[in-house]
Amino acid sequence: MSYLEMNQVDVSFGPVSNRTDVLSNINLSVKENEFVAVIGFSGAGKSTLMSLLAGLQQPTAGEVKMDGKLIKEPGPDLGLMFQNYSLLPWLTVNENIQLAVKKVFPKLSKSERNDKIAHYVEMVKLGHAGDKLPHELSGGMRQRASLARTLSLDPKVLLLDEPLSALDALTRSELQDQILNIWETDKRTVVMITNDVDEAVLMADRIVPLTMGPKATLAEEFVVNMERPRDRRTLNDHPEFMRLKTEITLFMMGLNKESKAAAAEVVPMPDIRPKDFSLPSANIRLKNKVSQPTSAA
Amino acid sequence: MERHVHSAAVQSSFGRLEHQPGNTMADLPKDKIKYGLLKFIDLSGFKVFDPPIRLIFGEDPQKQIRDIAKFMLLPILFVGMCIWMWHIIGPNHKTKSGAVPGPWTVWNAYGESARFDEREQEKMEDFALEGAERIERISLVKKQLDEFESEAKKLQKISQETEEKGNEEQEKRLAPFKAQMESLTAKIKTAKAERKAAQVALAEKVTLGEAKPEEMIALFAKHSEANTADSEAKALIKAEMDEIRSDPPQEVQKAKLAANKVADEVQHFKKRLDILENSNKEVSKEKILTTIAEKKTELAAATDPKEIAKLSKSIAIAESNLAKADEKKLAPSATIFWQTKRSLATVFVGFMLAALIAIPVGIMCGLNKIVMACLTPIISIFRPVSPVVWLLIFQIIVGAFFLPDPAKHPLFVTLNNEYWFGWIKNPFAFLGTNPAMVFSACTVAMCALWPALVNTALGVSAIDKDHMNVARVLKLGFWQRLFKIVIPSSLPLVFAGLRISLGVGWMVLIAAEALSSSDGLGKFVWDEYQNGSSRSFANIILACFIVGIIGFFLDRIMIVLQKLVSFDDGSATA
Repeated sequence: MSYLEMNQVDVSFGPVSNRTDVLSNINLSVKENEFVAVIGFSGAGKSTLMSLLAGLQQPTAGEVKMDGKLIKEPGPDLGLMFQNYSLLPWLTVNENIQLAVKKVFPKLSKSERNDKIAHYVEMVKLGHAGDKLPHELSGGMRQRASLARTLSLDPKVLLLDEPLSALDALTRSELQDQILNIWETDKRTVVMITNDVDEAVLMADRIVPLTMGPKATLAEEFVVNMERPRDRRTLNDHPEFMRLKTEITLFMMGLNKESKAAAAEVVPMPDIRPKDFSLPSANIRLKNKVSQPTSAA
Repeated sequence: MERHVHSAAVQSSFGRLEHQPGNTMADLPKDKIKYGLLKFIDLSGFKVFDPPIRLIFGEDPQKQIRDIAKFMLLPILFVGMCIWMWHIIGPNHKTKSGAVPGPWTVWNAYGESARFDEREQEKMEDFALEGAERIERISLVKKQLDEFESEAKKLQKISQETEEKGNEEQEKRLAPFKAQMESLTAKIKTAKAERKAAQVALAEKVTLGEAKPEEMIALFAKHSEANTADSEAKALIKAEMDEIRSDPPQEVQKAKLAANKVADEVQHFKKRLDILENSNKEVSKEKILTTIAEKKTELAAATDPKEIAKLSKSIAIAESNLAKADEKKLAPSATIFWQTKRSLATVFVGFMLAALIAIPVGIMCGLNKIVMACLTPIISIFRPVSPVVWLLIFQIIVGAFFLPDPAKHPLFVTLNNEYWFGWIKNPFAFLGTNPAMVFSACTVAMCALWPALVNTALGVSAIDKDHMNVARVLKLGFWQRLFKIVIPSSLPLVFAGLRISLGVGWMVLIAAEALSSSDGLGKFVWDEYQNGSSRSFANIILACFIVGIIGFFLDRIMIVLQKLVSFDDGSATA
């Protein structure tokens, strides 16, 4: 029984005469409380896919459904966590969360509301920074605040749009654990977009690769059959992890090659080579440097 | 900026740790004051005072002293040099209204303006004094008047003496020129007689046929040339004499100025005494009361019906005058400080009007492309229009609302009423609001409108798309979206626009006041230009400085506001 589904979804931009197809024939079905990762190269149309799921954008053809109902507009049920935090910079962390809490639970008394805010701030371990403005926080803290805001909406579906791609490796793994922790204690449907294979294998139940654009579509999925909780420390010794990682990486690299080949077919580059690179002053070092691209091509 | 301060804080406290281990805790409150101060001067835009404050708190003295030398002393030196050049060049440039006043003259003009203002205040105070205070004040003023009078006599004498001496000196300097002049005049006289004789002789010859008429014409031409040369020579000497006369010795000028100053003071104290004794509020009330009493006794004794009617009427008038006397105040003269206050009030009203129109309209433009498209032609056409044109248009259009008698228009009656509802003191009464002020304010508003409008529209339309998406996810309604997302995120740019607006408004106001004769700094400058007394040139330059300094502070205030609403490091980016 799928909770969130996309049926034959196409997205294209531009006038009829000059259409650019971004996504084509996307079929995705996510079960309730399942953690699905969509993996793809940058520019493939991942964010467009996320906008569709969040209801920020409507498909050109096909349908996007949650719980059997068409998604027509964004709302708190579809908790989208933006790639670049999108905290309101003039509000403190608490106030940012308050904005969400007030909207979703308008009937709470002031103290109840503050309790709720404190709860979510604690959940992402930002209790000490509740009164700080976003620009006073580090990238990881900002992303945690953003996560707290999304969680405070109490969404039925959590949509994570490359949530960790702007962070350094250490902060990233810390946040991955945090997200997993939160998800395991408080299960809900999650769709996460990422470009990191390790991250996807570590976190998700299923991994769906997105092929290269234009006309990107979802490829055959990989099921991650690894028991939870997954331990980051022993992961590299886990045969299943290594197998999946290798397979997915190979698949993705294949995609990359394919798309490059496809691109080469579309626009054949003229075979032009410079005749002579020698400069009047015949500087040897410069000559060597300049001639490098010739050999590479 | 903040980050910079923070990192500096970390560095310096580390430095201190090395120097005085174990003493860091005691330093903390001091550091708090220091960084509080630094933050404050940064916010108010006086970053120049950063090094001296750090120096006071003993942070890296060598660097601070270098910074002070570079960014404080050198600029001060440069400004000092500019003033010195002004001092040298200015007075050497002679104009129709006298030499260009140097810095010292302008400074004195400020002193005189300040004293003038003080005098007006004193007079107003004297006018309102009552009872024992008035009696006391009279004796005080009399005493001071005596002192000033004796001093005035002394100075008058000194001035006369120096003038006589100066005159003698001048005569001495003039004497050679006078002698030259006399000899030249005598020479010219004889030359003229000779020429006349030559002309007569030649004329006779022509009648006799011994000479041709052409010769006669040539002679006349030659003689007229000679005449011109003579008068030119005379004029040259006269000009030199005039210069000596117009430039009396410095001492004479100084003595005269000193004497005049005290004479002014004497005049002022005489006037004060006159007010205290004759036209003071209490005195005039008493006068009215005695007339009423007199008339009443006359009325009691009167028998003729005509006489009775006449007396009753005058008693009624006197009684109404008595009621008015309580509210009477001495009308203030237009001192430069009062003019400044009025200018500030006008620019404030105009600026507020501009903001009230520009911000909502700008928000609508930014939110809706259709509104923007509709307003773009109007903005583009009216923005470049000169303030002078706007002033004239407002005088006609807005002036129509105040017809037929502006003084009786409810707006001015309310604004100029001393007390509202009989007991609330009207804080704006001193401004003496009039239609000209309204026109000026409207002109300011019209010209200050555009930068604020355009910047607001820009700020609103440049909202981060992600922030709007947040609003969509949270399903915020229109008003919530406006007040929680749109306005806060565009505030920095709105204030940047308002800052430009205030600058434009202040500049426009001075011109508008000069043209519309609305009391204010602009009118002050215009009046001084028209009146052309010895002081007016200095007063104009003084007004120039006052306008500049006030403009500077207005800008500073706006910078501070802009920084306060900025959610980042003072930049408008999210």
